[in-house]
Amino acid sequence: MQSKKKTTNKVAGAGKFIKEAWSKYSFIFVFVIVLIVYVFTIQANGNTFRWGHIAAILSSQNTVIVGTIALGMALVIITGQIDLSVGSALVLCSGVTIMVFNMTNSILITLLAALAIGAVCGAINGVLAGFAKMPPFIVTLGTMLIYRSLALAYVREIDPAVTGSSSSQFALLSDNSNYDFLRMQFGTGKLAGVNIPYITFVFVFVMLLFLLISKNTKYGKSVYATGSNEKATRLAGVKVQWIKVSVFIITGILVGLASFIQACKIGNVTPASSGKSYEMYAIAAVVLGGVSMAGGRGNLLGVFFGALSYTTINFIIVSIPSLSTDIQDTFQGLVLILVILVQTVGPVIKERAQDIMKRSKSRKMQLQ
Amino acid sequence: MNILEMKNISKTFGGAKALIDVHFEVEDGEIHALLGENGAGKSTLMNILTGVVQSDSGTIKFAEKWYPHPTILEMEHAGIAFVHQELNVVNDLTVFENIFLNKEFKNKLGLLDKKRMIAETNELVEKLGVEIDPNVMVSELKTSEKQLLEISRALHEDAKLLILDEPTTALSQKEVDHLFGILRRLKKQGKSFIFISHKMPEVLEISDRYTVLRNGEYITCGQIKGATPHEITSYMVGEQYIDKDIYEPRKLGDEIIKLNKFSGHGFEDVDLTVKKGEIIAFTGLAGSGASECMQTMFGVLPATAGTISVNGKMIQGSISSFMKNSIAMLPSNRKENSVIPDMDILENTYIAEHTLSKNKPIISKKNETKKYENLKEMLWIKAQNAEDPINSLSGGNQQKVFLARWLNTEAKVLLFDNPTQGVDVGAKAEIYRLILEFANQGKTVIINTLEIPEIKKVSDRCVVFYEGKVQTILNHDEINEHDVMLYSTNAINIGGQKDAV
Repeated sequence: MQSKKKTTNKVAGAGKFIKEAWSKYSFIFVFVIVLIVYVFTIQANGNTFRWGHIAAILSSQNTVIVGTIALGMALVIITGQIDLSVGSALVLCSGVTIMVFNMTNSILITLLAALAIGAVCGAINGVLAGFAKMPPFIVTLGTMLIYRSLALAYVREIDPAVTGSSSSQFALLSDNSNYDFLRMQFGTGKLAGVNIPYITFVFVFVMLLFLLISKNTKYGKSVYATGSNEKATRLAGVKVQWIKVSVFIITGILVGLASFIQACKIGNVTPASSGKSYEMYAIAAVVLGGVSMAGGRGNLLGVFFGALSYTTINFIIVSIPSLSTDIQDTFQGLVLILVILVQTVGPVIKERAQDIMKRSKSRKMQLQ
Repeated sequence: MNILEMKNISKTFGGAKALIDVHFEVEDGEIHALLGENGAGKSTLMNILTGVVQSDSGTIKFAEKWYPHPTILEMEHAGIAFVHQELNVVNDLTVFENIFLNKEFKNKLGLLDKKRMIAETNELVEKLGVEIDPNVMVSELKTSEKQLLEISRALHEDAKLLILDEPTTALSQKEVDHLFGILRRLKKQGKSFIFISHKMPEVLEISDRYTVLRNGEYITCGQIKGATPHEITSYMVGEQYIDKDIYEPRKLGDEIIKLNKFSGHGFEDVDLTVKKGEIIAFTGLAGSGASECMQTMFGVLPATAGTISVNGKMIQGSISSFMKNSIAMLPSNRKENSVIPDMDILENTYIAEHTLSKNKPIISKKNETKKYENLKEMLWIKAQNAEDPINSLSGGNQQKVFLARWLNTEAKVLLFDNPTQGVDVGAKAEIYRLILEFANQGKTVIINTLEIPEIKKVSDRCVVFYEGKVQTILNHDEINEHDVMLYSTNAINIGGQKDAV
């Protein structure tokens, strides 16, 4: 008798542990499931799954560049706002970053310029949304058009010696003495042995930094509190308007960093096509990472796994030979809708089920 | 003849008896005042009448018909209309669209027949003797006009009995007079009214009869003619409520707060000095300005004139500048203004303190947990784990967590806006015990509450607000339910007599 009781307790304990882990770290499960599907598709194509596949996920543009932007996007969404301008801001920042490098040949000045122009882009969004109290969706929809069109217009106007290219592109000048280090050693270089790019480590470092800020600093807590109940947070003395502005500025700085990494990785940027739909990819990574679109909830570690999941989903879709490229976005969209569906409908179903359980229990009690 | 007869109505919510064997009758063409303190059972009775809640027992007869299980729709069709305190009009539609909402006239083509609707609206408004353009947007109307709109909508639906819940709180004296003129005219046309109000002068002016409820029980029913404010107030508060008195006189310190001609939205010209360690009660009926005054003392609402100083230093600006000067405020309406639902108990406890200790940006969870455990013991918070979600706690325990939130800021002045709202009796008593304890530790406490018996239990002085002004300041010995009621309904100025103490 006793031993039976013990084992049921153990089972119940394990069940509880899995339940808690699932609700807290569901983004890891999502990634694992996506990865398993990827392994199957690779084998279905007649290949074997190798470390190289993992390294490819970790070094993809969608992981590193979109992931960096998504960290900021997550903070914006946690405060209950949205930033649609990040893709356009990325192009504008990349253009400026490349021109600054072409003119100065200084790595430090180039990096600082990238972060500064990003911060300015974010501050414009933030001031309009946070202080002027305009809806962030509309504000960033506007700046989305503005930032890209500025890049498009000026690429043709500026001296090719500065833009680094005669066509409608910004490109790093390979004549500069630091080009080799920036592009060849840092931007595309990999850590020998594991075959993972340096820029991926930069992304992971930044992710850990922001994870720390969001979890262990007073500022981080006030970001979550603002998204959870703005009124109560204000009544606790937090300057919620400033918090709402600051997350846009942080996002801008991260976009600036992403533009620097992108310039180093690829060496050029085309205003007409680069960074298109990146705001959607970033939102997708945030949502896949389990951050609530309603604000107040979410884990930046989840955003990291969300970016990995999103990259892997892309790899799966691309590796299915019978899918034409035209239909690929349909599948991306479907996966995204499915995840949000689980996120929003899941708790409702759970509540209903609990209600029904309760009712049947009380009915049983009445019968007894 | 009676248009409405409610007999032996009882209702229990959970374990609490909200109504016990209540009788209530309204005659044809009369204005009947339904009176009682907060929590006396007036709203429950009206909710039963309008079919919002079902009574446990009792009978309802309206216009010669019995209603054993009234529903909202049934009672609406029968001719009962509820004009709510928070008006139920659609701001983004025009006047006539509001009146015909869901009952629109259509022409032969199935399109809206605006001409006919506007003409009929004009007729309705004329009947009331007011001038409202049917084509104007409701958002452009004054509160008093919105109220009249709601009354005309009820008349359009051919209501026989209108329930007016505190209809005068947002009106000026002139608008009140106008409204009363309209009510008298409608009364002559045979309409009946249930008039719920806390303002004694108005009750005496407009009503024909009154019914008093107290603690869910029927107390009495009588003619207004010949009744005195004193008599009615006595019925409302009953025998002097006797509870274990926990009040003890304390030695007070130096002056800490000074309000000088302090004015803001909804109140003006408040002069008050409070001493260190003192417990002051603000009271006043809804719309009296007591809560607004308290919120302005914490920078939630802007002051429009006058000054507030703490320890001789004038303060103005944002909430955080008030916090830096040792003021804390526990806001009313816990769910909306205090609970941060996505955060755990510990995070909820520290959110205010963090704004004061920004120079140390990194959180030491170990220190916070240790300090929280002390507060938990001191405040008797019944919680298992500091990392449990805040919503896993009961209302009373949540409120104690928010007390802890403000004690954490080391504030010397604690403002409590309606701290016992939605808290059960046991937790209520504990909160008052704590308030006395804070005062003994030298903290200064100001409580805004509508629950008059509780004022007596803890406060050294009681500031009574009426229509935005300080009506009187009573000392501890002078505080009794009857007198506070007299002052807060302004009955004192129309011949109500003070209790002999």
